[in-house]
Amino acid sequence: MAYDRKKIEELIDGTIDWETLHRMLSEPKDPERFRLYLEILQERVPWEDRIILPYQYHLYVVQKKDTKEWVIKCDCGHEFCDYRDNWKLHALIYVRDTEESLNEIYPKLMAPDPNWQVFREYYCPGCGTLLEVEAPTPWYPVIHNWEPDIETFYREWLGQPVPERAEPVRK
Amino acid sequence: MTRRIQVLGIDAGGTMTDTFFVDTDGNFVVGKAQSTPHDESVGLINSSADALAQWNLAVEDVFPQLVTAVYSGTSMLNRIVQRKGLRVGLIVNRGMEDFHRMGRSIQSYLGYSYEDRLHLNTHRYDPPLVPRELTFGVTERIDLFGNIVIPLRENEAYEAARKLVERNVEGIVISLLHSYKNPVHERRVRDIVLEVLREAGQEIPVFASSDYYPVRKESHRTNTTILEAYAAEPSRRTLVQINERFKQLGARFDLRVMASHGGTISWKAKELARTVVSGPIGGVIGARSLSERLGYRNIAATDIGGTSFDMALIVQGQFTIQHDPDMARLVLSLPLVQMDSVGSGAGSYVRIDPYTQAIKIGPDSAGYRVGVCWPESGVETVTISDCHVVLGYINPDHFLGGQIKLDPERARKAIEEQIARPLGLTVEEAAAGVIELLDTRLRDHLRAMISGKGYHPSEFVCFSYGGAGPVHTYGYTEGLDFEDVIIPAWAAGFSAFGCAAADFEYRYDKSLDINVAPDAGAAEKLEAVAVLQSAWNELAEKVIEEFRLNGYSPENVTLFPGYRMMYRGQLNDLEINSPLARVETAEDWDRLTEAFEETYARVYAKAARSPELGFTITGAIMRGIVPSVKPRIPEEPLGGATPPKEAHRGQRPFYFRKKWVNADIWEMDALKAGNQIEGPAIIEAPATTLVVPPGWSTTLDAHRLFHLKHR
Repeated sequence: MAYDRKKIEELIDGTIDWETLHRMLSEPKDPERFRLYLEILQERVPWEDRIILPYQYHLYVVQKKDTKEWVIKCDCGHEFCDYRDNWKLHALIYVRDTEESLNEIYPKLMAPDPNWQVFREYYCPGCGTLLEVEAPTPWYPVIHNWEPDIETFYREWLGQPVPERAEPVRK
Repeated sequence: MTRRIQVLGIDAGGTMTDTFFVDTDGNFVVGKAQSTPHDESVGLINSSADALAQWNLAVEDVFPQLVTAVYSGTSMLNRIVQRKGLRVGLIVNRGMEDFHRMGRSIQSYLGYSYEDRLHLNTHRYDPPLVPRELTFGVTERIDLFGNIVIPLRENEAYEAARKLVERNVEGIVISLLHSYKNPVHERRVRDIVLEVLREAGQEIPVFASSDYYPVRKESHRTNTTILEAYAAEPSRRTLVQINERFKQLGARFDLRVMASHGGTISWKAKELARTVVSGPIGGVIGARSLSERLGYRNIAATDIGGTSFDMALIVQGQFTIQHDPDMARLVLSLPLVQMDSVGSGAGSYVRIDPYTQAIKIGPDSAGYRVGVCWPESGVETVTISDCHVVLGYINPDHFLGGQIKLDPERARKAIEEQIARPLGLTVEEAAAGVIELLDTRLRDHLRAMISGKGYHPSEFVCFSYGGAGPVHTYGYTEGLDFEDVIIPAWAAGFSAFGCAAADFEYRYDKSLDINVAPDAGAAEKLEAVAVLQSAWNELAEKVIEEFRLNGYSPENVTLFPGYRMMYRGQLNDLEINSPLARVETAEDWDRLTEAFEETYARVYAKAARSPELGFTITGAIMRGIVPSVKPRIPEEPLGGATPPKEAHRGQRPFYFRKKWVNADIWEMDALKAGNQIEGPAIIEAPATTLVVPPGWSTTLDAHRLFHLKHR
């Protein structure tokens, strides 16, 4: 079952009707979806590097136009790091680990005890967008969300040639 | 010969309205017309005209002759599914205002396939029937024993009623915790609401759950009571409209409606929400009616339509009643004839799973749009019907009596592209594989349903009906060793026949908690029967009142009391028809437990009986019946085994078990009672096709029932 471009746009925007969404969730994925999805994302970003994989909200793994390196990049164009690194370590971080700072976002007595749980907010240094909030115990290391195996994904799942990739030049 | 036409069965679906007229000899015609949702009577009359034209009769001639008409339709269900009911207000316990929209969590995945039930991402809550802003709480509490724990704060009830009036609701529902046990608070709130309405000069219906469904489980009870206000009242208007139209045409009867408990009720009925489901149970009623008259004790009723396969068991002449069914993704407290359904029918889509390369049937379907073989349908995915067309099972030029022309080449091409080529099979192999897979699946379900209840198929006669049923009958019954396999010649209209055969019957239920220990003395048993009898009196009063509304006096009504019993501490009860019309003495209690133990031994096992636990009655039931006219079963003189020449319509290639054979084609209507037909043969009627493969044979009996046998 193939979906038209408009449906995929609605899927990205979160305005899709439930019936179609339910079908998408329950049925085998239509083979055209990934290509169409990337195409729409690519049109919407202001830069020209090729999107290899959507990484999470606002973030993409892209192939840099000039060097062919794969990096994690924000909507706004800010480049974080190599696609295998944890982008959070390159973000602006605000930690709510006091009662006072937690009470800014929770009604009184509804916030967690900061000795047990803290909130770490990750912001893009380029545009200031809040990209993610982590809610771990205070001592827990910064979580690396995932490390995609893009080569296998392209080769074995999509059945497409893997885009060219250059190792980053160590500075 | 002048016909006397007695019975009209109506099945008003979302797209098509079917009518089914039966004459005194049991002959019938089926009519079809487009449904007309704005005024259902229009489509109904068109459909009637279509049916009667086959007998060269006009609607005006026939309606004055009719003795009864039974309606079943999907408009109420559609109104619920599409959330197009009335604006209803709800009063519940304060602090419990959200339970209605939470729907016991289960409502987030009701009606889903097994895969989707496990797949949490697909779970979703439909908008509640009553929005949160029209739900108000009042402080009170009655515990599960019926004791008042917190008295009702009447001022809050006044306030809630006034707010609902201000918000222009069209109906008000009151449902308080444990009101089935002690309705005093709920009724007081109801009276307060009525008082406020009077003061405001408004006349809108008010529904207290204990007046309608005094049964346990508040989500079920509340949903069902809301449906009365939300969906049943508009349906009542539709029924009044149809009834008036019939009267204009000279009808001298009141329209009856098929209800979930397996009886028909009047459009005047207080509890009209139970007419929300009616279509599929018609067939079960029809099978029971046939079995009563022909002396079959145990029946497995099977029905294949466009979208599903429905099965029901009739044991010792009784079908099972389910007490808290779900429908339209709502949990409800309605007595419903128990059926098992599999989402596979003639219109089910057939696909190849891209990962496992397995053939997948359904769960979605083309429904009435048949399949790719019908060029006008717009369907692009292969359906079961496409496979039938390619294999020669159904006649492409004679589908629905030739109303639709099917194109086997289109079906062939679609199967080739979508199924055969990816699997490396020929078109015939692929199509036959699909049919075999479906038959196996249906057979497994049927076997599981029968053995799951502790029976063996050899104790059952299998009835097969529905438009698509007889095409598959051999496939899903093969090897199950049924006592007999019967296909009525009017298989396509069997559900409508069943509706027409249903009794005029009301049924009311009430939850009870009567516990009697194994060593109980006479005094305790006496108290138990007193509680039961008072519940029966209460319910009988309601049943008689319903019949009174239809002009029947209490003497016309035959009452059948029943009860639900289990051993103490068990979780599942059994519904028992009471052996006594009244209970008064301690000995009567023993008669009740004996009747229960007899049923228990039959349903489970004699050795599993556990009287040492004592007994619990969980509910009282009262059914009332007045006699009604029923369609007659055809009765023809038996002729010879050789079918008449004029019934033979030639031969057609037919693919079976890896080879093409030539099948004789017979016209069903031209066959005579007593005729025997050897496979390979195909017996065609306008709305159904009976397939008799090589190695099988069938005989038509005096009642126009085909008996299918494997040699």
